[in-house]
Amino acid sequence: MRRIYESEALHRDDDRFTPAERRGDELQAMRSVDGTALSRRLVPDWLRHRAISVEVSTPKTAYTPHESIPFRVTMTNSIPFPITFRTRSPLLWTWYVDGVAEASRVSLRDPPDEPGEFRFARGERKRFVKRWEQAFRVSKREWESAGTGEFTIGAGLNVENASEKGLTDETTVRIVPEGYEQADRTAETG
Amino acid sequence: MALLEIEDLTVEFYTEEGVVTAVEDLSYRIERGEKFGVVGESGAGKSVTALSVMRLIESPGRIASGEIRFKGEDVLGMSEREVRDLRGQEIAMVFQDAQTALNPVYTVGEQIAEAIRHHLDYDDREARERTIQLLDEVGIPEAETRYSDYPHEFSGGMQQRAIIAMALSCEPDLLICDEPTTALDVTIEAQILDLIEELADEFDVAVQLITHDLGVIAKVCDRVMVMYAGKPVEKAPVEELYYDPKHPYTVGLMSSIPRVGDRRERLQTIPGTMPDLVGLPPGCSFHPRCPYAEEVCTLEEPPLLDPETGAEASGLGEASEHTAACLEYAGALEDGLDYEVEIRNSESEPRAPQGGQR
Repeated sequence: MRRIYESEALHRDDDRFTPAERRGDELQAMRSVDGTALSRRLVPDWLRHRAISVEVSTPKTAYTPHESIPFRVTMTNSIPFPITFRTRSPLLWTWYVDGVAEASRVSLRDPPDEPGEFRFARGERKRFVKRWEQAFRVSKREWESAGTGEFTIGAGLNVENASEKGLTDETTVRIVPEGYEQADRTAETG
Repeated sequence: MALLEIEDLTVEFYTEEGVVTAVEDLSYRIERGEKFGVVGESGAGKSVTALSVMRLIESPGRIASGEIRFKGEDVLGMSEREVRDLRGQEIAMVFQDAQTALNPVYTVGEQIAEAIRHHLDYDDREARERTIQLLDEVGIPEAETRYSDYPHEFSGGMQQRAIIAMALSCEPDLLICDEPTTALDVTIEAQILDLIEELADEFDVAVQLITHDLGVIAKVCDRVMVMYAGKPVEKAPVEELYYDPKHPYTVGLMSSIPRVGDRRERLQTIPGTMPDLVGLPPGCSFHPRCPYAEEVCTLEEPPLLDPETGAEASGLGEASEHTAACLEYAGALEDGLDYEVEIRNSESEPRAPQGGQR
């Protein structure tokens, strides 16, 4: 007995709205595979570290006191398959000023003692914009103005030895007294 | 012993952007039968606070620290089974969007009866009778016929009434209403608020009313807490808050209420938006928007203070206490807070200013 799908009854190529035939070589089942989890198991560490780049940038290099300093952290996965990092805690990445995490000299939080997962889709670029308000937190309710000088703003993934693995980046900004900003910029371009 | 005591509650969400501190160091108490209001903008942490009480915070959120005590029992230390018994039976919740809160494939009556059967061990017939009685009490006409209707056959106001009936079905001691009237028009809003008030009095239920509408708070509540960026900025008995607000944010909220007959061309607003909870500004979180902010506000964050004495408020605070988190009350502001509260009578004639600051 012929089954209905073996007959010509289902073939309606005279209809304008016939859906396109599926290409036989496409693996439909692959769509339901958790590529990220698979990638975590299959991709070797050295490739994982090489795949991700971290970049920290600021719109300008000199700021006047009390001016908010915005900085952008860009993390890029340069390879065409997903990458997953196992981080030390659910806190996936951190930023710091002069080595002081989140510009706070006091511990802000106690992240739970369990690993987190930082996932990058294939070729994904993640961008995070943060601001440093030129102050360091010195106690739960008090901040201290950073004053003038040179400061290093950095960011990195929350993994063991992130800087050795090339998973951090830093940039330097100067805080100069009012009026000196222009001179500073001229000196820089000159 | 208060019915509900929340002490130093901090709730964090670990996201890709960073750690969102949705609620930070929040303390308050609700007495039996009291109507307590929580007011603030979207994202101020009002709903997260309510969900924490029911232990309904889902991943990636977590209660980082603090204590929640209900009738003296530690809610955070309870087993999942104990918390399930608490939900619905002792603490019930009315959500903002009734349409979403109701299951579309069960009849309204069955959804209410299910809670009654589960918590009170009623049989099918008794649960049905009790449900019909409740639907009648919340003002649904022909309750017996309506028992078998599906949620889509109810109007928005009726759906919210059904949700209230469900919340009250097991006679809880605390009813948490999370913006119960936001999705409704003003006439139905007034009816629903009257209903909550009436039923709370009738069943002697304490109410925690979460809203962004100060008018709703004025109508229903005894005491109110104003929240901003996950922190309480003012706590006061409701009349004191309206006649003598102490925090610039509360003053801003009050002055942004539109009034009929007001001849101003533009509505008054608080400039700016609430800061990103991933990276709060240093100092007082409200300082970028505060018209009275001084340099000290950018470097120091005030705790809740007694405006009269400047003393720091104790954790839970007394019921009659009026506290505000502004450095003015620590004597740190040079120019002070320069606003006046003008109370108008029903004919909109201004009366002599009351309260106010320097």
